[in-house]
Amino acid sequence: MAIHNRLSVFRADHAMSRKDLAERVGVNPQTIGYLERGDYAPSVELALKLAAVFDAPVEALFSLQPFAPLAHSLKNGG
Amino acid sequence: MFYRSARHPFGRAVSRRSARALVIALYILYPLGCVLRLRPFSDAFGGAADIAGLLLIAAALLVFAVLAGSSLQRQAQEPEDKLDERESAERNRAAYWSYSAFAGLVVAGATYMMIATDLVESGKATLWTPQTGDHWNAVVGGLVLLGMTLPAAVLAWGKETADME
Repeated sequence: MAIHNRLSVFRADHAMSRKDLAERVGVNPQTIGYLERGDYAPSVELALKLAAVFDAPVEALFSLQPFAPLAHSLKNGG
Repeated sequence: MFYRSARHPFGRAVSRRSARALVIALYILYPLGCVLRLRPFSDAFGGAADIAGLLLIAAALLVFAVLAGSSLQRQAQEPEDKLDERESAERNRAAYWSYSAFAGLVVAGATYMMIATDLVESGKATLWTPQTGDHWNAVVGGLVLLGMTLPAAVLAWGKETADME
């Protein structure tokens, strides 16, 4: 089953490069690219580390269901 | 075998497409060079074939040197604790497939040798088998190259590498 994520949105919001984020969670920068494209589903440990970097709950970053478009979320008050 | 340079401690980044081209070149140049050099079926073209064969083998070794310093070869050869979880999972999958392919090839080669030897001994057919030291060197050299590059070759046929920023 595909795991959807908003990693690139959070990363852009925090003005972080893939390299910066990779260093924070201890992975190869290419792995961040794989995660963002949905080509790789992270382990629970990595998902929690990523959520901790953005100080967000893990379900804000990853979901089994596709995330609603950002504009839609903003329109409905987040 | 992975060659780590001071400039590229994680291996020279190569796209999967380039890696595939390198692997295909290696797997064509080396056997072709050996066939030209050893000419198992005929002694045609003599010295010219010898030189062409040596050049192709040298080109294959050059391709191997490039591959040996690549990020894919690093992923294939690096100890487990030096890889992240994605690299490690991909490598384990590649190791499984390359082991299966290599084992299958060795079994097929051994079966061929068994059949060829029987047929030659009984005089029913003439199939090529390695006879001289040069023949065996070529076969073993090919197996060594294959064994060292097959996991990276399997990785090269994986998903395209993510763009770097």
